[in-house]
Amino acid sequence: MRRLAAVDAQAAGLGLFAGQKATDAVALTPELTIAEADPAADTRALAGLADWCARFSPAVAADPPDGLFLDITGVDHLWGGEAAMMADFVARLARNGLPVRAAIAPSPGAAWALAHFGPDRAIADEAIAALATLPVEALRLSGADAAQLRRLGLRTIGAVAALPRDQAGRRFGPEVMRRLDQALGAAPEAFAFVRPPNPWFARLAFAEPISAPEDLARVAGDIVARLCARLEAEGRGARRFDLAFHRLDGVAEAVSVGLALPGRDAAAITRLFLPLLERIDPGFGIEVVTLGARETAAHVARQPGLPPLSGDSHDRETLAPLVDRLANRLGEAAVWRAEAFPSHAPERAVARRPPLSTPTDGGWDRERPRPVRLFRRPEPVEAVAPVPDDPPVMFRWRGRAHKVRHAEGPERLGEEWWRRPWSEADPASARDYYQVEDEDGARFWLFRDSPYGGAEPPCWWLHGLFG
Amino acid sequence: MSRQARLMAMRARLSGLESAVPRAVLPFGDPRVDGCFPGAGLPLGCWHEVTGEGMEIETAAVAAAFAAVLAAPLGQRGEVVWILRRDDLYAPGLAGLGFPAERLIQVCVRDEAEALAAMEDALGAAGVAAAIGEAESPDLTAGRRLQLASERHGATGFLVRRRLYGEATTPRGSAAATRWRVTPAPSEPVPGEPGLGAPRWRAVLERCRGGRTGAWIMEKSDGAHPLRVVAGLGDRELDPPQSVRLAG
Repeated sequence: MRRLAAVDAQAAGLGLFAGQKATDAVALTPELTIAEADPAADTRALAGLADWCARFSPAVAADPPDGLFLDITGVDHLWGGEAAMMADFVARLARNGLPVRAAIAPSPGAAWALAHFGPDRAIADEAIAALATLPVEALRLSGADAAQLRRLGLRTIGAVAALPRDQAGRRFGPEVMRRLDQALGAAPEAFAFVRPPNPWFARLAFAEPISAPEDLARVAGDIVARLCARLEAEGRGARRFDLAFHRLDGVAEAVSVGLALPGRDAAAITRLFLPLLERIDPGFGIEVVTLGARETAAHVARQPGLPPLSGDSHDRETLAPLVDRLANRLGEAAVWRAEAFPSHAPERAVARRPPLSTPTDGGWDRERPRPVRLFRRPEPVEAVAPVPDDPPVMFRWRGRAHKVRHAEGPERLGEEWWRRPWSEADPASARDYYQVEDEDGARFWLFRDSPYGGAEPPCWWLHGLFG
Repeated sequence: MSRQARLMAMRARLSGLESAVPRAVLPFGDPRVDGCFPGAGLPLGCWHEVTGEGMEIETAAVAAAFAAVLAAPLGQRGEVVWILRRDDLYAPGLAGLGFPAERLIQVCVRDEAEALAAMEDALGAAGVAAAIGEAESPDLTAGRRLQLASERHGATGFLVRRRLYGEATTPRGSAAATRWRVTPAPSEPVPGEPGLGAPRWRAVLERCRGGRTGAWIMEKSDGAHPLRVVAGLGDRELDPPQSVRLAG
C-alpha cells in the first residue's frame, strides 16, 4: 500500500496529511502531484544543509530525518542577538524554498521540543517555563512511553516534571527521566557534530590577484611556513596538507600532499608542493590562498643535521623524506613494503603494507620453491608430460621449446575453499606446481590446472620465473 | 724527474681525483673474483649494471635474482629499495634466495625516466643501503647522476636491465662501475637428495672500472657471501666484446 510520506503547506491546507493512503489522497484531490519518497536523498540533502549551516555555527549536528542542531553558544552576538540570528537563519532558508521551524533554548532537548511542538521561532530563556504546557511527546519519547503517560493522565511536560522524582523514575523507567532531564538541561547530551573544527588552517589574501607561477611558488612557501610555525609552537605535526588557490571567479584549485609520518618541516613540505603547482590554472587571478593541515598528532622534532646513532639505521624518520617524495610523485599505492600473508595461494601470499610500517621479521617460508617473478596472469604453455603426475619432459613458451632437464614437485595447492560457499567447493580444482629446469639452467614455475582423470585433459600454465 | 717517478706521481694524483674517500667493498671471499676488483671486493657507494640475455631483457628474472643475491648482504646496513617497471616481483621468491625481503621497499614506476629519477632519489636518501632499479640504459648524464647520488651516503645501486615489450630500444653508453652479464647455468643436483640443486649462474664481469674482467660459474650458497664460485670460465668461452670502450 502506498502512503503519503510528507505533504507541503498547500496540500495540508486541502486536508491531506502524512500517512494517508495515496489512493485516498488522489480521490480527494485529483490534481495532486505525487513524487516518490527518497529517504537516502533526504539524508544527503540534510548533510548538505548541515554543511551550509557552518556559516552560523562551527558545531552543527544533523538530526535525521528532518532536524538540525546548531550550538550557537557565544556566536549570536555576531548577528546582534539571538532573535536577529534566528530571523536571518529562517529568512535565508525561506529564500531557498525551505520552510523551517526554529527555536532557541538553553538545552538541545528544550529546543527540539519547542521547534516541534511549541510556537514557531520561540526563544526560551528558562527551559521549564517554556516547556510546561507542551505535550509529553515533545520529550522525544518512544510511542509506548508517551502512550503510557497519556493513559495515566499526564498530558504535559509540566505534569511529568511535577511528579516526585524517585516514584516517577521507578514507575516510568530511566528513559523517561533521562529525556526529561535532557529537556530541562539537567543531563548532558552527546552530538556527532558534522564537521570537527579544524584549527590548523592558514589563509593569505592579496590586495592584487596573482597568477605568475613564481608567485604561486612563493605564496605556497609563505603559507606553509606560517602554518608550520604554528604547528611547531604547539608541538604538533600533520600528515596531510591541503593547499587551495581561490580564483577571482570563485573556483578553488586545490592540491594536497601527504607525509608518511607527521611532520612540520616547512621547507620539505614546500618542496613536495612545488611540482604540483604546475597543475594550478590561475584563470583571471588568485586572490586568496588557504592551507589546512589534517591528521595532526603530537610530534617531537629531532635535531636537524644530527646523524642517526649507529645501529639506528632503520629509523623510520630517516626514511620518511624519501617515502614522501616517491609517494607524492608516483602515488601512494606505488610505494609499499611486502609482508607475508597467511595464504597458500601464491597470488595472495603477499600483503602490501605502508612503507614505513615496522618491518616484521619475515614469516616467509623459505623451504618451498617460489619464483622471483610471479606473473599476474599465468601464461598457457604447450607441455608434453608422459605419465600422469609426472612433470613435463618439454614445453613451449612464447614460441620457444624448452627441454626439461630436472624437475621438482608436484606441490599441490588447493583452492581456498573457505572463500566460497561449501556447496561450490570443488576438490578437483587444485593446481600441481612443478619447478623445472631446462637444459640451459633456466628455471620455471609450471602448474597443471587439474589432476588427471577429469573430463577434460589438463592444461599447463607458466606462473613465474626463477632467476 | 725520471719517467718512472713522473708516472707514479700522475697515478697518485689520478687516484686522488677518482676517489676522495676510501671506497668500501663487499668481498666475495674468493680470490679468483676479488682479484678482479681494485679494492678486492665488489665496490660499494657506486652503481652496477646487471643484464641478462635474449628474451631476458623483457622479464629480467635472471638479472633480478642475481642482483638480489649480490645485494643481500647489504640488507643488514639499511633498507633496500627496488624500483619496478612492472609489478611482478615476488617477495617470497626473494626470501627463498636469502634476500632480506622484510627490508625491501618496492616502488612501481611508469616509465624509464621515472625509474631513473626514483633510483637517484633512493640512492641519495639516508637510511638506504642499496637501490635496485629496472631500467634499460641510462645515458652518461643519468649514470653520472646515479653515481653522485650513491656517493652521498655510500649506498650501492644495481641497475637491472629491463625493456618492456613494445618499447623502443636506445642503446647508450653507461657509467657503471661494473657490468655483469648473467645467464642461467645448469645446476648439479645434490647426490642422494630429491629435487633441484642450488641455482647456478654464468656470470661474466664484462666491465670493471679500475680492475679486470672475468667470467665464472657461480652458485647460490649459504656461506659468508651468498655466491660461491663453482668454476672459472676460460677466455675462449667468453662472448666477444660488443664494442670498443674508450673511457673506463
